[in-house]
Amino acid sequence: MSEEQETDIARQVAFRGGGFAPTPYRWIGLAVFVVLIGLAEIGTQSGFISPLTLPKPSDVLLTFVELYNSGLLWTHLAPSLTRLAVGAALGATLGIGVGVLIGLFSYIRAGMVPLIAAIFPIPKIALLPLFVIWFGIDEASKYALIAFGTFTPTVVATYGAVDNVDRTLIRMGQSFGLSWKSIVRKIILPGAMPGILSGLRISLAIAIILLVAAEMLGAEHGIGAYILEAGSLYNLERLFAGVVILSLLGVLLSSVIGAIERYVLRWRT
Amino acid sequence: MTMNRREAITLIGGAAAAAGLATPALSQNRKITVGALRFTSHSGSFIAFERGHFADAGLDVELKFFQAAQPMAIAIASGSIDYAVTAVSGGLISLAQKGAVKVIGGALSEEPGIDGQKILASDAAFKAGLTSPKKLDGKIFGMSTAGSSFHYMGSKVAAAEGAAMKFKPLQKVGAIIGALKSGQIDAWSIVPHIAKPLAKSGAAHIIGNVSDYLPNYQITTVFTSANNAAEQKAMTGDFLTGFSKGVADYNAAMIARSAGQDGVDEMVRLIHKYVYADRPLEKAAPSIINGTMRLNEGAALNVASIEDQLKWFQSEALVDADVTMDRLVDTSYVKTIRA
Amino acid sequence: MDIRLSGISHSYGDFEVLRNISLDIPSGKIVCIVGPTGCGKSTLLRLIGGLEAPNKGNVLQLGVPAEDCLNPLTYVFQDFALLPWRTVAGNISLVLEDHDLSRADIRKSIADVLARTKLSDFARALPKQLSGGMKQRVAIARALAVKPAVMLMDEPLSALDSQTRELLMDDLVALWTRQPFSAVYVTHNLDEAVRMGHMIVILSRCPGQIREIVHLEKPLDERSYGDSDLQFRQKYLWNLMRDEAQAADAELINV
Ligand SMILES: Nc1ncnc2c1ncn2[C@@H]1O[C@H](COP(=O)(O)OP(=O)(O)OP(=O)(O)O)[C@@H](O)[C@H]1O
Ligand SMILES: [Mg+2]
Repeated sequence: MSEEQETDIARQVAFRGGGFAPTPYRWIGLAVFVVLIGLAEIGTQSGFISPLTLPKPSDVLLTFVELYNSGLLWTHLAPSLTRLAVGAALGATLGIGVGVLIGLFSYIRAGMVPLIAAIFPIPKIALLPLFVIWFGIDEASKYALIAFGTFTPTVVATYGAVDNVDRTLIRMGQSFGLSWKSIVRKIILPGAMPGILSGLRISLAIAIILLVAAEMLGAEHGIGAYILEAGSLYNLERLFAGVVILSLLGVLLSSVIGAIERYVLRWRT
Repeated sequence: MTMNRREAITLIGGAAAAAGLATPALSQNRKITVGALRFTSHSGSFIAFERGHFADAGLDVELKFFQAAQPMAIAIASGSIDYAVTAVSGGLISLAQKGAVKVIGGALSEEPGIDGQKILASDAAFKAGLTSPKKLDGKIFGMSTAGSSFHYMGSKVAAAEGAAMKFKPLQKVGAIIGALKSGQIDAWSIVPHIAKPLAKSGAAHIIGNVSDYLPNYQITTVFTSANNAAEQKAMTGDFLTGFSKGVADYNAAMIARSAGQDGVDEMVRLIHKYVYADRPLEKAAPSIINGTMRLNEGAALNVASIEDQLKWFQSEALVDADVTMDRLVDTSYVKTIRA
Repeated sequence: MDIRLSGISHSYGDFEVLRNISLDIPSGKIVCIVGPTGCGKSTLLRLIGGLEAPNKGNVLQLGVPAEDCLNPLTYVFQDFALLPWRTVAGNISLVLEDHDLSRADIRKSIADVLARTKLSDFARALPKQLSGGMKQRVAIARALAVKPAVMLMDEPLSALDSQTRELLMDDLVALWTRQPFSAVYVTHNLDEAVRMGHMIVILSRCPGQIREIVHLEKPLDERSYGDSDLQFRQKYLWNLMRDEAQAADAELINV
């Protein structure tokens, strides 16, 4: 075999294993925001986008700064956060409770699952007038709406999570003669935690959506009320400022849950 | 703006309207879309449509119905519909400021001597002593949204009585009625055909008339896109001509009762095709008759009242302080009233 | 404490899994159960441990378990069944917490079994940080912690690679030699059976019946990898099982 032939045969194997592996590029997400907002600013400044279509992002920022400086931001944010906290806490706690009961007891499951399936698709907003009659026009009806809205998805996520707890772990608990209470507390609840937390993520997003709905009736202050008022006055700057606050709230809540997940579920691979 | 110029514009406006009357041929069979809510206050459009007044003016009109005033105003601003009637509100002023819409005429007005909007007290509040607008201090007043006409009326009444009231936004008229019935709010103001049945059922009590506080209140106005007002003068004039004939028919039949009970009955039958159509005629008729309020002849516009409303919205910081009457109103089409 | 199975039969619906199994499991001995796949080995183990009740026949405990025994019949599972959210020590603590033990006792117990399974350094590790062999050692430590009268092991080593399996077998033998325990040890692997079993029970294919019981007298700590004597026994077992295994395999395909 001559040397020439040998080099002829030795060829680099082409790499073909690239792609299909998500790589985190943090700055791209930010860049998309910056570019979109930049385009909106240029479009509105130049008059290419009419003020009826979109407000100037800089005006939205200005509105936001005014809101902050006047102290009105807090006036609107405080009642909204209270409503979110009370409503979501109520709904999520009850939801997790009922979900666990459904997961544990066949009779409760048989009785509750069809009921939950029946109330899940009801647009909770449609029930707002009813809640106003039941709970009054003040805070209680708003808590109730948000609580009700977060309740059903939490129940469904929770009993799904309980169902998904590794049966062999429960078997193991039984085989070691653990008491029923211990099995629930030490095996089922921690095992269902990942499912419960990802359910909460969705429930809290729903709670923010319902916040605006809840503030439709009789709320003088609140981010939702602020947005609704801006909408009825066609004040697009305020409308967008309010929407941005809600978005930020969503991002914030989501990262709080993320942090809780990282802490509580640090055992996960 | 000086008085003189305004008068001049008024004159031109009258002339333009007259010109529109004379030359419908300019816009022969032009297709336009007119927005409406299913309220008696929109009867001008219904009658003009049913009796062919629009067709006579050379317009091929399609009526488009909306559930609320807000989407209708947006539809005008976006050019999806051409003309509509709506109350002056913060939203309307904002749209005018953005150069999207223009008020071109007047429709429903308060008029001393004619049954107009009522001030209502909830049964609970009434029993607790809210028997007159003088006692509104510290009460809760219902409204759809901040910057709505309810907000304006309530504030004006409160100001006149030196009362400090709280305003509760409830978005929809239905929700306000519910809140009034259950005593969640103390007071409200509303058109008579809603106020009277509520009072009759005992759920609420009429404690005063809006016209006592706002004697010539221009409640609703005819409006269109700023583009139509500025560029489509002939078409806009034709529309107002047809609309005004509908209004004239309405006032004649329902207020002057020029054709007696038969005239009223016939008009009610016509209106019933659009308003309370889900109820049988016998049940709808009293509501339609109760709702009778004068519509401005010739779609005349009370600019004084509009100006007062604009000032109030500005004073409450609901709209920008630099919005001018010119921006909001195009007075070139109809007679203006300054009372 | 001995276990006696007398005339056990079990079916799932119309499907007969075990037929007329009678067997004595003597105290301090390891009984291996081998048989073709699907013949009911795991079922039999569940019946012995009381996780299921047989349709016919009885599982009897003869004598009383030792005074300090917390859970007479204790499983070691094929897939370890460790709580992923608890540390090694926490997993062992789990099975002690429900008993009337002081914290100090629990801590002492944990330390003891961790030392016996050479896991002392890993007390604070989470299962996700451990290799498969380590996880099974934790599971064994957990089983030892409750001082069982009989350990019920269902293919405890089959999730592990063969080198780890060798090491763990040595560990088990060492554990047994130091302190003999009774065990029922289910396996597919004949090599494991001849290394670990004082008694090897061969089940037929479904429905599982006892085909033969082989007794091995050679002490556990004298058996070793590649032992010719054991290989001879293993071959014998394989000849016994071959036809059954083939038939069981074919059956599965025909399903
Ligand atoms: N709960 C159950 N319900 C119905 N059938 C079952 C149940 N558990 C096991 N079986 C069936 O009983 C038969 C014996 O199952 P078992 O798990 O005891 O077999 P095995 O000998 O352990 O098998 P392998 O060697 O594959 O582990 C199988 O055919 C299985 O499908
Ligand atoms: Mg098995």
